[in-house]
Amino acid sequence: MGLKSWFHAEFLVPRRLAFNVIFYGLHFFFFGYGWYSQFTNQKLAALNGLQFSVWTSRGAGLVLAFDGGLILLPMLRNVIRVVRPKVTWLFPADENIWFHRQVAYSMAFWAMVHTTAHYVNFINVERTQVRKQSALDIHYTQPGGITGHFMLLIMLLMYTTAHHKVRAQCFEAFWYTHHLAFFFMLGLYTHATGCFVRDSVDPDYIPSFPFYSTEHCLGYLSWRFIIWPGILYFGERMWREYRSRRATRLSKVLVHPSGAMELRIIKPSFKYTAGQWLFIMVPEISGWQWHPFTITSAPEDPYVSIHIRQVGDWTRGLGERLGVGPQVVAAMTQSAMKGIEKDEKGDGSRGDFVELDSGAGAITLPAVRLDGPYGAPAEDVFDNQVAVLIGAGIGVTPFASILKHIWYRQKRGNVGSLKRVEFFWVCRDAPSFGWFQSLLQEVEAVQADPNFLRINVYLTQKIDENMLWNIAVNDAGAEYDPLTLLRSRTMFGRPDWNSIFAQMRQAIEAGQYIPGATSQLKTKVGTYFCGPSVLAKAIKDATTKNSGASVQFSFAKEHF
Amino acid sequence: MGNLVWHEYSRYVSVTASVYAVWASFFGLLYRKYFWDFVGGTFRDPGGIQPGPNSAIFIMLIVKAPVIQILSMILGLFLLALEFPLPPLKGLALHRSIVLRIVLLLFQVFLNILYYQGTNAAIWSLIAAICYTRAQMLGETMAEAKNNRGKGGSA
Repeated sequence: MGLKSWFHAEFLVPRRLAFNVIFYGLHFFFFGYGWYSQFTNQKLAALNGLQFSVWTSRGAGLVLAFDGGLILLPMLRNVIRVVRPKVTWLFPADENIWFHRQVAYSMAFWAMVHTTAHYVNFINVERTQVRKQSALDIHYTQPGGITGHFMLLIMLLMYTTAHHKVRAQCFEAFWYTHHLAFFFMLGLYTHATGCFVRDSVDPDYIPSFPFYSTEHCLGYLSWRFIIWPGILYFGERMWREYRSRRATRLSKVLVHPSGAMELRIIKPSFKYTAGQWLFIMVPEISGWQWHPFTITSAPEDPYVSIHIRQVGDWTRGLGERLGVGPQVVAAMTQSAMKGIEKDEKGDGSRGDFVELDSGAGAITLPAVRLDGPYGAPAEDVFDNQVAVLIGAGIGVTPFASILKHIWYRQKRGNVGSLKRVEFFWVCRDAPSFGWFQSLLQEVEAVQADPNFLRINVYLTQKIDENMLWNIAVNDAGAEYDPLTLLRSRTMFGRPDWNSIFAQMRQAIEAGQYIPGATSQLKTKVGTYFCGPSVLAKAIKDATTKNSGASVQFSFAKEHF
Repeated sequence: MGNLVWHEYSRYVSVTASVYAVWASFFGLLYRKYFWDFVGGTFRDPGGIQPGPNSAIFIMLIVKAPVIQILSMILGLFLLALEFPLPPLKGLALHRSIVLRIVLLLFQVFLNILYYQGTNAAIWSLIAAICYTRAQMLGETMAEAKNNRGKGGSA
């Protein structure tokens, strides 16, 4: 990324500019305030003899306290889920991990400033004997020094394992190491104990909590403010633990010909909306690993379902446990990829799923635990007149739930302000997502108004000559598309987002797109995307470029 | 435990430790202190710890002339050049040597443990060296760098 585009992204986008000004402005304010209050405090005149280093360390210390209070806020997942519908206009609540990272970067920088300043402080304390101590005493025998060095070590481990490459290679390394945060936070809250900043010769301890007198111990007492997010987070983890233990039963496992396992779970206490996701844990496989999956059932369904493809250690282990090991599924996937079963049935379906028989006694279904649901931007689909749903590859999963939900609401005649739905599915090889196709078929079949839901499937894989002829021969005049078995035709190659959105805009402005809509009203078009970030950027650019006076395109991205 | 590629992970630890070492040695030039001066030293007010005669050689190399700090800084910078890597080092077999890194990191531990500011850098370098040792034990090898990668337009 060039300097120019960096500058544009950071300073010329109003929201980002506002964030930068407020976030970094607050940091510099706290630094300045910390510096100033040390500098002007007559009681601390002796310490001020150390000059710049002590002013810097106190300022940076206050900034670090502020960061320590912020760092856990974006991780309060349940709180965010509750407040996000009310605050999405103010800040992007779904970018919580991004915010967590910004705080962490800032923390690393100010930790460097603070530590460097203290190294200078302590060597000068030893030389001038402001206090009758050696530098190493302060570093390695006093609470401030010990907790400080430990926090730095924990930061080294947490930051390095949080690198996106490490997370991709070995999520466990990241996940377990990040729980050192517990000790980090303990260190942070106790960093200023021991009456470190004082106007007396010796620490002024008292027998009652907090064990030092505030008359002579003159720290910022910041822990009194920043401990609350920590307590809240701890409480939330306890609550999640409790909630996951409420009655949960794995009622059915379906294996789709494409190899995806569908787990249907019954948990009466689990309430969710379409497009949300959950964590699942199977104690028999690992008592510690919680894996995130998108919910594929609609809230109206009597069960919670998730679709799992066997791609990693854990998912393979689960398949093994359920008696549909990789070999079984691999064979099924192979045949689905070749599209064998398509020819066996004349009715144009993809072949049926296989239900695992739990009654025969050969396989008992394992216990499962669910944690969630957690929010996702796709909840807000019904607030728009037009919803553009774009799924790329495996990123279609959240839309299964949403499409199902739309279908249920259509049946009830209650689709909110939603007038039209454009569904885009960009994928390399459609047959491997057979389960999703059968869902699409269901949804497409019940459409009374042919204009309400439009399904656009884009196939991006390279097509060899045989396949090309096959398509050409089968496609002509057939009612169903030969590849997807949908009424909608499959398109080949990558979609040109700019022209798609431009056309949509023209159609809306001309009044052809939405029946009965008048052009005076501003039409809200919500775009929901799930998939790789390169594509996300292209689509986002297209939406901002085509937004105008009468049509407003909004963009939201799902995160995995 | 997933498929952690140890030498890729070690690189992040090594980079962090080396940056710390360079920064620490820079401050070590300004505020010179032998870390182990309390061994055989006497405490004086004012003035702090006065090193004993047994540490004369280190006082010479750290306090009188900051040789250790300068060596530590050079080593830290070289490690950074090796890890990132600097373009001239990129194609060399040297760049792909895990053993070389372990040796250099252990040198870094030794240099940084000697002066006041370097202790954390020393501990972190030790962790990096241990992680690289693990990579070596697992028989990991570093892939040869692709020449035209990451250079837009020249490919």
